[in-house]
Amino acid sequence: MADEAALRALLLKGLAGEEAAHRKFLTEAAALLRPYFRNRLRGAREDAEDLVQETLVALHTRRDTYDPNLPLTAWMYAIARYRLIDLLRRKKRRGDHSAIDDLEIGDADPAFEAGDAKRDVARLLAKLPEKQRRAIELVKLQEHSVEEASRLTGYGVSDIKVSIHRGMKTLMKLMAEESAA
Amino acid sequence: MKTDDLIDMLAKNIEPAERPRWRMRTMLTLLAGLAIAVALVLTFMGMRPDIGTATWAVLLKAAFSATAAASVLPLAMRLMRPGSPLGWRVAAVLLFVGVSILATAIALMGMPSGLRLRSWMGGGFPWCIVLIPIFAAPAAALMVWLARSLAPTRLTLSGAAIGALSGGLGAMAYAMYCPVDSVAFVTTWYVVGIAICAAIGAIVGSKLLRW
Repeated sequence: MADEAALRALLLKGLAGEEAAHRKFLTEAAALLRPYFRNRLRGAREDAEDLVQETLVALHTRRDTYDPNLPLTAWMYAIARYRLIDLLRRKKRRGDHSAIDDLEIGDADPAFEAGDAKRDVARLLAKLPEKQRRAIELVKLQEHSVEEASRLTGYGVSDIKVSIHRGMKTLMKLMAEESAA
Repeated sequence: MKTDDLIDMLAKNIEPAERPRWRMRTMLTLLAGLAIAVALVLTFMGMRPDIGTATWAVLLKAAFSATAAASVLPLAMRLMRPGSPLGWRVAAVLLFVGVSILATAIALMGMPSGLRLRSWMGGGFPWCIVLIPIFAAPAAALMVWLARSLAPTRLTLSGAAIGALSGGLGAMAYAMYCPVDSVAFVTTWYVVGIAICAAIGAIVGSKLLRW
């Protein structure tokens, strides 16, 4: 598993636009987040995988809030912790205390492989506003570049980029709402 | 969707991130909030009529309020980015409060006892503790909007910091109208007004700042 320095290097390369480095960063982050959430949500394995996914989107959309002068793992776990607390607050507001009752910090779960998430992100993508959904489908799910997507939709290049970014933020909100339901 | 597929989607076709320029954006946001507050004071309260002779008093009160805002600014900016240690930034706020209390005590002690109460209370109810939060509201709203585009993870504390910061700006604007110039009044009630802004911010922060 990647250490602090390796993880930080991957994120910074990702910020510079290197797709492979960013993919590796998210993969390594997921491997660290999985036991983090599983230990805190014992008995709710699928909730944990939902939170892993939600946090990955959060790390991705907010990656420019990372200050390169500070430790990367502190940044990452601060976001993870916030997503967890946000989930528990939402559940509490809905009168569902199961996740909070399950919450205990115990031994690490020995199995760290990716489980299945309860929710289906693909289905949530369909709920996005038309423009954001189109931009994400073309650029992030199909093999189109931003320029091609701009040509196909008639929107400007920066419009496509903004729509993707906004769409990802909206997606994270939808994920958070659903996991609390 | 499997987590690996989600990661593929997130990473695909990423572009180099633009430099976020948080400092610049924060400064512009604060300036806009201050400008709106000044416009509100001038429209609804009016500049104090004796501004010709009171220019220095107004400037000093505005400078005091600006110092209050400046003492909270590093903390507020830190809280918008996850996992950043706060360190001396909390101490800066406490130092400002401590110096204000000390200044109040010194000002009151250097004054004949018969005048103290009047000088401290400004001869009536200190309306600034109501008006400062009102004029702080536009800056607070703009700052919340900015903060939500970053990633605050300690919402109550972030809300308090944004409240206090906006309170400092609201007090700067309010100083144009405020007719009371005694030191003890300003170092007490302006600080209380700003603290009320911080308290409101702490209460609504955990709702408004969620992302």
